[in-house]
Amino acid sequence: MPEWYGPFGGTFVPETLVPALQELESAWRSARKDPAFKREFQRLAREWGGRPTPLYFAENLTREVGGAQIYLKREDLVHGGAHKFNNALGQGLLAKRLGKTRLIAETGAGQHGVATAMVGAKLALRTEVYMGAVDMERQKPNVQRMRLLGATVRPVDHGGKTLKEAINEAFRDWITNVQSTYYLLGSAVGPHPFPSIVCEFQSVIGREILQQARSAWKALPDLVVACVGGGSNAIGTFHPLLKTPAKLLGVEAAGSGAPQAVGSASLTKGRPGVLQGMRTYLLQDAEGQILETDSIAAGLDYAGVGPEHAYLKETGRVEYTSATDTQALEAFHRLARTEGILPALEPSHALAEAIRRAATMPKEARIVVTLSGRGDKDLEVVGQHASPG
Amino acid sequence: MPHLGEVLASRRAERTPSLLVYMMAGSVPDERFLATVDALKGVGVTGLELGFPFSDPMAEGPVIQKAASDALARGFHWPDLLRLLRSCSEKLPCAVMTYTNPIVQRGELSALQDLASAGGSALILPDLPVEALAPFRRARQTTRVDTVLLASPATQAERLRTLVVRTEGFLYLVSRYGTTGAGGGNTPSTQGREGELRPLLDASHALRPKLPVLVGFGVSTPEDVRRHLSAGADGVVVGSAVQRRLSEGESPQGIAGYVRGLCDGLTSKGPSA
Repeated sequence: MPEWYGPFGGTFVPETLVPALQELESAWRSARKDPAFKREFQRLAREWGGRPTPLYFAENLTREVGGAQIYLKREDLVHGGAHKFNNALGQGLLAKRLGKTRLIAETGAGQHGVATAMVGAKLALRTEVYMGAVDMERQKPNVQRMRLLGATVRPVDHGGKTLKEAINEAFRDWITNVQSTYYLLGSAVGPHPFPSIVCEFQSVIGREILQQARSAWKALPDLVVACVGGGSNAIGTFHPLLKTPAKLLGVEAAGSGAPQAVGSASLTKGRPGVLQGMRTYLLQDAEGQILETDSIAAGLDYAGVGPEHAYLKETGRVEYTSATDTQALEAFHRLARTEGILPALEPSHALAEAIRRAATMPKEARIVVTLSGRGDKDLEVVGQHASPG
Repeated sequence: MPHLGEVLASRRAERTPSLLVYMMAGSVPDERFLATVDALKGVGVTGLELGFPFSDPMAEGPVIQKAASDALARGFHWPDLLRLLRSCSEKLPCAVMTYTNPIVQRGELSALQDLASAGGSALILPDLPVEALAPFRRARQTTRVDTVLLASPATQAERLRTLVVRTEGFLYLVSRYGTTGAGGGNTPSTQGREGELRPLLDASHALRPKLPVLVGFGVSTPEDVRRHLSAGADGVVVGSAVQRRLSEGESPQGIAGYVRGLCDGLTSKGPSA
């Protein structure tokens, strides 16, 4: 379990959290070797969570685009409506194992908050979720879902009032309550060992893609695409494929796409620095102050990125690019009308880039896009923008 | 002005307790900041910690968070810090407290050279782990700027040993589980805040007898000061309680009066300490 991915990662936290992170690492080491832990995780993932998810051929979309075949890894069909379930379940079981009585989490789009609230209810752990006030406004259905599931939603009302501030506030809570509380971090970010724990629980996505591709085509996909905010669905998709020849592509949010706008594209527009426990690519000014980000997708609206993505960018194993708000919205509508699927705005960024590339690739080529969540939470945001046609 | 680490060490040797005051640089106009420093000097404060604002201060409660965002909103930058530090360090020994990213963006050596040339004695970074200390220790050799490590009530014996051995100037002992400030932040607390500090103080002094250990976070009353000193601390750091008064526009004399009240707690350090 690496603490460092090349020069990225590490444990840049106040000393109060150091014992808790060491305790978490040792609990995780023993849990991953424990067959009973694995069985319980797999049973709940299957019977409660609905895994495995299909690898679905988007035939109509493929025909309309007129290039490579586009397949969707249907994480939108997991219980709760997003891949966040995979990690929340795994870490929830770890929290139980550690004897903690209280879960805290941050959430951007609300999907991780919902998944944590579900797990808190199921495992009888009191759950409190920090969420930026801006995100609470634009992802209202998820706020309501968390509350119905018995969680307390704590609004974060400073700075940009989005995911970064929610993470800061969750860390402050953890510093204060570390003896009773498990911080269930939702993305592959933060101090060691969170990035590697999140990666391992999310790697079920990539493993299933590999198995499904081999059994359906006796071949690997040519291109695999996922959206990157903090990067949990992307690292889970990519990690099992790193040693294969498949081309891997991460798509960040470019925001409005205005010439000076950085959007939320830390890998494509940022540079290395230290934030929220990790050394990674950050959107920051010349003096190292973190910039306000912007994206139509709350789940991508973050100034940092998981440290393993920073490393995969530097080694060149994964290509990272970005899509704008407008491109994501176009992809959203296109998938809705061709396939009868409302994707979340986050994977709509991946889909936009996949469609663009598909048009330039031969018909025999196969592209897999991780459809990390469903779009019901985004109806209000989408409604505020004119739809094509 | 003498070096903060040396001042604290000689006060420890003389069993004279120390009091550091933290204020966020740039949170108020420099003129008022410096008038407050003068007033603090007048009531016998040992040294200053100048906060340099960071956009994402993970360990801070609401008072210092707000002070940081005020300073950033006022357009306060690194050259402004150096200018203010130069003036402050003519009055009292000074440390700078900020977060790791603004320092690593300048480069550790370059940042410490800047601080040294402005008269700074020490740098305190609450999110810098001891494992990332090497470039700071190298820079110490030419700049004489100490990098101060923090310990907390959660710190276990083996880790404490490493921190005590590696810290420079003094050890900053966090008083409790929580962020800075008396209220402990916006977050609900599910446990007793106050950690038992005496074992940590005893262990630290046994490991490195000349090293001063100062207690900070949530120190705001003479009773807090007395309690920490009687547990064996060599001094205390007062931050949020002063910053709140500064941000609310209280006069330098008013702030100094409050701090003098805390200093009354300093004199009661018994012979057992």
